[in-house]
Amino acid sequence: MNVSVITDNLGYLLAGAWPDAPVGGLMLTMILSVASGLASALLGLVLGIALAMSGDRTRRALTLGLGLFRAVPIVMLIFWSYFLLPVLFGFAIPETGTVVTALSLVGGAYLSYAVAAGIESIGRGQWEAGLALGFGRWQVLRVIILPRALPAMAPSFVNQWTVLIKDTALAYVIGVPELSFVATQVNNRAMVYPAEIFLFVGAVYGCLCLLVDWLAALVARQRSLPRAGRA
Amino acid sequence: MRRLLTFALATLLSVGAAQADRLDDIKKAGVLRVATFDSNPPFGFVDPNTKQLAGLDVDYAQAIADKIGVTLELRPTNPANRIPLLTSGKVDLVLANFTITEERAKQLDFSIPYFASGQQFLAKKGTLTSPDQLNGLRIGADKGTTNEIVLRRDFPKATVVAFDDTPFAFAALRNGNVQAITQDGPKLVGLLAKVPDKQNYEVPAFSISNDYIGVGIPKGETRLRDVVNETLRELEASGKAAAIYDRWFGPKSDQPLPRLFRIGDHS
Repeated sequence: MNVSVITDNLGYLLAGAWPDAPVGGLMLTMILSVASGLASALLGLVLGIALAMSGDRTRRALTLGLGLFRAVPIVMLIFWSYFLLPVLFGFAIPETGTVVTALSLVGGAYLSYAVAAGIESIGRGQWEAGLALGFGRWQVLRVIILPRALPAMAPSFVNQWTVLIKDTALAYVIGVPELSFVATQVNNRAMVYPAEIFLFVGAVYGCLCLLVDWLAALVARQRSLPRAGRA
Repeated sequence: MRRLLTFALATLLSVGAAQADRLDDIKKAGVLRVATFDSNPPFGFVDPNTKQLAGLDVDYAQAIADKIGVTLELRPTNPANRIPLLTSGKVDLVLANFTITEERAKQLDFSIPYFASGQQFLAKKGTLTSPDQLNGLRIGADKGTTNEIVLRRDFPKATVVAFDDTPFAFAALRNGNVQAITQDGPKLVGLLAKVPDKQNYEVPAFSISNDYIGVGIPKGETRLRDVVNETLRELEASGKAAAIYDRWFGPKSDQPLPRLFRIGDHS
């Protein structure tokens, strides 16, 4: 084991060439994770509610669109949106934006099913009781259904977030210098210490995912929600 | 899959290729965008001190930018996305240890070669002495390189194992997963210099191909290509090409190698 290959390059692994260049390494991985985590949660919530509340035809169209994003491998989605969108529509999205968009769309598509299932898991009686009290459909959703359904969805959100953290590594395909990308650069300069470097990188991803788990458990305990499972 | 993607993309993009002259665009923008390797020392890698891209390819890219009179902007690339970056117009040139092949020349233009290397092997001492043995060996190669293609084509009975990059291929050699690895000779010499137990390994003294390295240029940009070729010839004439070579392969470098190829030897 050669630990110096990690310690000598620690600054580069953690923050890339920052402050001489835009931030990279672990910091960028965390930025990508947080941005796409929030965006996918929001998208999942909106689309999930739309899925649960819409009529037959809208629902079918939504299912088709969501199915598409679930079916396309993320690495393809990143690759094609980076290289093809500028040609088709004449505008270019910056690299990090492409990655966040792709991760959010895929994460949001997965989450929307969890949200819809959560809403549908609440018995019809609850809906009927709300309507009988004179609430509108959206009011019933907001006041009665969601407060009961959301806690049940929490484990799915935590699962999806840990998946997202690991998927940020796919940003390599368009040259975004996140953690695994800069680790590859260091690995190719050092040449003979891949085990040391990637054990370290694996451990860092592990810590990030455990951190999300721990934070979720903390929030859950405070609000006495069911404890989230480990991804 | 990568080759399929590259091909599909190139086909799509050639339809919508811009008609304007790229050299004028570069001068107007004041920036030359060049894709260069970030993981292939000494051609292109991240300098541990400056944390910026450096290497032989970077020096040549800088010389071309100076000649046009614009600033140089570098983009890290790898064998998987260097062609898409060029064909989709994200960069103006590719200087990434780019071997000139007929297949690639269908999608892009090449400059005259500015470097030449032979495809060689690295193995434990005594395992490999002549090319005849290759057909019976398990050999590691870097995915998407001409090394992999040539090996599969010329030695169909060799078991070729493709790795993401050279460090993984070398780790497989160390662990005994493969009996030899293949790469450009200069890179293997540089790799061997870094191995702690280098006395156990060797680069056998034969090569199975002669590769010429050129600058990748968007197809049909003849004015841009002329400027690049002119720059390369001037660098050779003024002795600057030899100075760049010495910086990375000279007697004081990590991988001292005699300079056998000169720009203009081969067109």
